[in-house]
Amino acid sequence: MSLPSINVLIQVAVIGLLTGGVYAVMVSGLTLIFGVMKIINIAHAAFMVLSAYLAYWLFSGLGIDPILSMIGIVPLFFFIGKVTQRRVLSPVGDDPGLLVLLTFALAITLEGVLGSISGSTFRTVRTGYTSSIIPVELSSDLTLRLPVVRLTGFVASFVVLGVLWLILNRSGLGRAIRATIQNAEAAQLVGVNIARVRSTTFGIGLASVAIGGALFSLIFSFNGSSHLDWISKMLAIIVLGGLGSLPGALIAALILGVAEAVSAVTMTSYISPIVFYLILFLTLVFRPQGLMGAKVREG
Amino acid sequence: MTSSIGRHRWLVALFVVLAIVGAACGSGDDTTTTAAGTSDTTVAATDTTEATTDTTEATTDTTEAMDSEPIVVGASLPLSGDKSEPGTAAKEGYEVWEAMINEAGGLLGRPVELVIVDNASDQNTASTDYEKLITVDEVDFVVGPFSSFLVIPTSEVAARYGYAFIEPAGGAPDVFNRGLTNLFFAQPAPGSEQADPFADYILSLPADQQPATFAIVSQDDPFTLGVMDRLKGFLTEAGVELVFDEVYAPETTDFSSIAIQVADLDPDLIVGGTVFDDSVAQIRAYQDAGYQPRAAFFTTGPSLPGPFREALGDATEGVFAAISWFPAAPGFQNAEFVAKYVEMFGGDEADIPEDAANAFTVGQVLAQGVENVGAVDNAALIEELHKGTYETIVGPLSFDEVGRPQGTFMVLQWQGGSFVITDPGDRRQADPIWPKPAW
Repeated sequence: MSLPSINVLIQVAVIGLLTGGVYAVMVSGLTLIFGVMKIINIAHAAFMVLSAYLAYWLFSGLGIDPILSMIGIVPLFFFIGKVTQRRVLSPVGDDPGLLVLLTFALAITLEGVLGSISGSTFRTVRTGYTSSIIPVELSSDLTLRLPVVRLTGFVASFVVLGVLWLILNRSGLGRAIRATIQNAEAAQLVGVNIARVRSTTFGIGLASVAIGGALFSLIFSFNGSSHLDWISKMLAIIVLGGLGSLPGALIAALILGVAEAVSAVTMTSYISPIVFYLILFLTLVFRPQGLMGAKVREG
Repeated sequence: MTSSIGRHRWLVALFVVLAIVGAACGSGDDTTTTAAGTSDTTVAATDTTEATTDTTEATTDTTEAMDSEPIVVGASLPLSGDKSEPGTAAKEGYEVWEAMINEAGGLLGRPVELVIVDNASDQNTASTDYEKLITVDEVDFVVGPFSSFLVIPTSEVAARYGYAFIEPAGGAPDVFNRGLTNLFFAQPAPGSEQADPFADYILSLPADQQPATFAIVSQDDPFTLGVMDRLKGFLTEAGVELVFDEVYAPETTDFSSIAIQVADLDPDLIVGGTVFDDSVAQIRAYQDAGYQPRAAFFTTGPSLPGPFREALGDATEGVFAAISWFPAAPGFQNAEFVAKYVEMFGGDEADIPEDAANAFTVGQVLAQGVENVGAVDNAALIEELHKGTYETIVGPLSFDEVGRPQGTFMVLQWQGGSFVITDPGDRRQADPIWPKPAW
């Protein structure tokens, strides 16, 4: 098969960039939770699928648009996150091995529950704007077709990351979170309630993945087991970005989104998931701290 | 700190166990984790007992109705594990057949009793189950499990004891190339021939309407690739040029890049080797990329009317697929089967799985074969099944010397809010729309 034309490459790269934005929303909570608590939340993708199902059920049952349903799902997930951290994760203590095991258990519990409720049929949300595109004419023979749902995801990624940045850098809670990241014991000594900071951070992490899930439901098909394919992608993104770094996660998501899309047309689509992990492998070998260091940066 | 972990370790353990059980009971997707996979066996063990008790209870009533020794038909099905969804559907199909035949006076004037056990989607368990059904339970007949994966080892067990083995869902080439003469595949044709009638239709079009170019975008799956290979052969031989041929990994969810390439080449016909969700994802990606083919065919996806329509809406118009059975199909006893299924298991007739219908077909073939023989005699039944033609809900079935069915799939096309049969000609419900409208 011959190499694709430059027009095809440009279009593919732009779609990859938009998809990368959606990836960024999906992983922002994961990297934040790691930054504050040093927990790798294996259940992150499962919570995303749960949110996607809620969006799907609200849409198919009540006709509520997934973007609108975020108003209910996001606070719900914040609450679920807070309770999960307090009642499930916190009692176990600080052993990272146990915590990973526990979040893995959470993930397969969610998978099992969703599987028994809705079977293995793949679902997706189809709204009035599902197949709408915005044409952007670059030249006489190249018109970019930007799918509205992916564009929405791309814009949302900057909104979500912007809000997270504001919370971290312009609020009392953010200061407490940053203090906890830097030195939990010292923060506690000066009166920061680190138990509360941790549960709130977990809540914020899940709230952000609720947004990711609603966007996910508009773009992709999913069933209860879909989280298994996505958690590995998510981990690859946050490792490339630098565990705990929000700007790093955004840049890594965009890079991997484009790399995945472009490799699918320049090599074969079979190779594109491998490219994802090849980049991860090279990161681990040559820059194990990722693109943006190891902590949530202050801007 | 350590003491705190110690204190809560039991909690973690409990949680993990709960989670594993949850996963095992839940989703029937192919991508189950190892943890979930291993736990299947434990859950399966309990299920098996339940299943057997269930069927025994169910049949006690009918035994009372007909005052003679029942004819016992045994099967081992994947009722848990990764094939639990189609396995359960097959169980339902067998149970509908059992109920209907007993209401109609039984087989050879005797009531029919089903014994169904759970093999947890495991090959070894399935083989052991059939061994036990034949040698310990001494059932009169056995019928097959779901999918080639389990049919291949279990049909050998049946062959060893001289039992006829009519099966609902094993159509891979390896099912037929082992020289077994006791196996009969109760679908209209082997899976790989699914697209044959569609190829016939394309090639029957007048030369000026025939597509000049086509693209194949297929999942890496033995079933879809088998179908694609045959279709590719027919079309390229007839001079239709293959301009794009892509095989993607099963976990692929995003088809944007592929669709942009396909749109750039703009072939007249797009053929998707799909399993379900990928047909939806492909069509959405083609819409986004602005690709409008003159015809589109997908192996599986369009034949699952509910979820397909829900996910795509009006974009379904004109899309082709192939199918062996559907609720409104004009097959022998189909209306009765559909009514009985809804009566027994509830839901909407559109929700009846094809796998249940295929299992029911097995029952129809078995019953007619046994009635023709006139006795419980597996050797005579095997001989009979190689000769006869049997009326079933998927149309008349007969078998060649290795049990390959001698029929064809039906071509369906989405027209309006549902699909209709457009080929073969004798089963046509509406003329095909060509070229298809934009999606």
